[in-house]
Amino acid sequence: MFQLFGNAIGQVVAVSVLVGAGLPALFAFGIRALAAGEGGSAEVSGVAGKPAMKVLAWVVFALVLAVIAVGLAIIVSSGFGYKVSFDHIFPTFIKK
Amino acid sequence: MAVTVCSPCADHLFTPKAHPSRVNLELLLLILVIGTAIAFDFTNGFHDTGNAMATSIATGALKPKVAVGLSAILNLVGAFLSVEVALTVTNAVVKLQNSSGAPNPELLVNNGHELLMIVFCGLIGGILWNLVTWLLGLPSSSSHALFGGLIGATAAALGLGGVNWMGDGTKLDGVLGKVILPAFASPVVAALVATIGTWLVFKITNGVAERYAETGFRWGQIGTASLVSLAHGTNDAQKTMGVITLALIAYGVQTDTTSVPLWVKFACAFAIAAGTYTGGWRIIRTLGKGLVEISSPQGMAAEASSAAVILTSSHLGFALSTTHVATGSILGSGLGKKGAAVRWGVAMRMVLAWFITLPAAGIVGALCFWLGNGIGGYAGPLLVFAILLGLAGWMIMHSRKTAVDANNVNDEWHPDATPGASVAPETAAIKA
Repeated sequence: MFQLFGNAIGQVVAVSVLVGAGLPALFAFGIRALAAGEGGSAEVSGVAGKPAMKVLAWVVFALVLAVIAVGLAIIVSSGFGYKVSFDHIFPTFIKK
Repeated sequence: MAVTVCSPCADHLFTPKAHPSRVNLELLLLILVIGTAIAFDFTNGFHDTGNAMATSIATGALKPKVAVGLSAILNLVGAFLSVEVALTVTNAVVKLQNSSGAPNPELLVNNGHELLMIVFCGLIGGILWNLVTWLLGLPSSSSHALFGGLIGATAAALGLGGVNWMGDGTKLDGVLGKVILPAFASPVVAALVATIGTWLVFKITNGVAERYAETGFRWGQIGTASLVSLAHGTNDAQKTMGVITLALIAYGVQTDTTSVPLWVKFACAFAIAAGTYTGGWRIIRTLGKGLVEISSPQGMAAEASSAAVILTSSHLGFALSTTHVATGSILGSGLGKKGAAVRWGVAMRMVLAWFITLPAAGIVGALCFWLGNGIGGYAGPLLVFAILLGLAGWMIMHSRKTAVDANNVNDEWHPDATPGASVAPETAAIKA
């Protein structure tokens, strides 16, 4: 029982650290880039903005949205008796 | 003359006139079970609003009323998304049903009298524990309260052998595998993830003006908090749907173990959404203001951690309590930020409440069963129900003395305050 639990919780820790800490970090990169693009009062240093950084920021935000979409897919599909499989790296729906 | 199939002995027919008094007694029990189940679902909603929304309310990312409204809608949507049947929900902790969801035949005698009593008393244990912890402003797991009540009532009815303590050992099951071990591990895991997330976020945004970052992270906070609300709706409303359907099967008006009647789905979805909208402000306040002084980046890190831990664990087939995860995450967001104060006294009170959730709800469930079954007839269940109404009414009245609502939920937290009594006396006086 304890071993089973250890295995399960280990998997949860591994994935959660990756996604649960990675996603805010990714979002923070987006904010960092957006602030750099904005420049001036958005930055502590007050340097002029670099517009190219804004593009990077929105690419990062799009990536964050994609991860959230996978989260939504997991919630919705489990309600319908499906699960999202990552066996082929790209998420696909399979029957539970 | 209408002819009905007698549920305990489905093969022979009888007319309702044959033993009308029994059928009426069990009908009363069935109605009580449905009523208390929906009431439990409502308490489940307002007890858990804070899990998703406390951080967004505390940082001002959402106005309190908007936050509970959004959470209510997402819980409603979530409840309707749970198409999969949760009929075997009680199997995690008690042995009332077989693996397909059908109740054990010996519990079905007299239109499921014994099973209805067990479920009724278990629900009362769950509701009363939810109300006590709400009054004290302490977040505690609604699922554990329900399980505790069911364990107590089952042990009182069938003996300790009726409880599924640890399954057959081949998979995570029973009170140990599905309740106790996850309760110890989930806050720690969530705190770890949120600590790392918060630390990374502050490291990465170092150099960005604080106000600029604050605004940006509010959006992230709202997004992640919404995800937690939706996941809550899909997980928790299902449990009550399962319990009501079990009662319908026990009484004999439902035979299908593969679907939940539509009205049950509607009733549960709206009950949990209405509960969520009521907002357990006392608990929201403790989570948002009492545990850690929280900023938007911390809030986003905390909710992202909660969403990730909840979704990963349910994806792997073992559900963790949303409350334990959310509390751990908020704690972690305080640990990950340099110089942020974590009020360990408040945290310890919560942990203490979690330890006693199962036994406390269990004792109430058992006492209700002994009392209700001991007196028997119509008087027993009605007396137990009257006790529930009396205690619930008393607690609601008592809560008014130090009312917490949308207007004072974000008031400054007094350093020596305890949850639930945390509103400044002058504020309470104005309210009264």
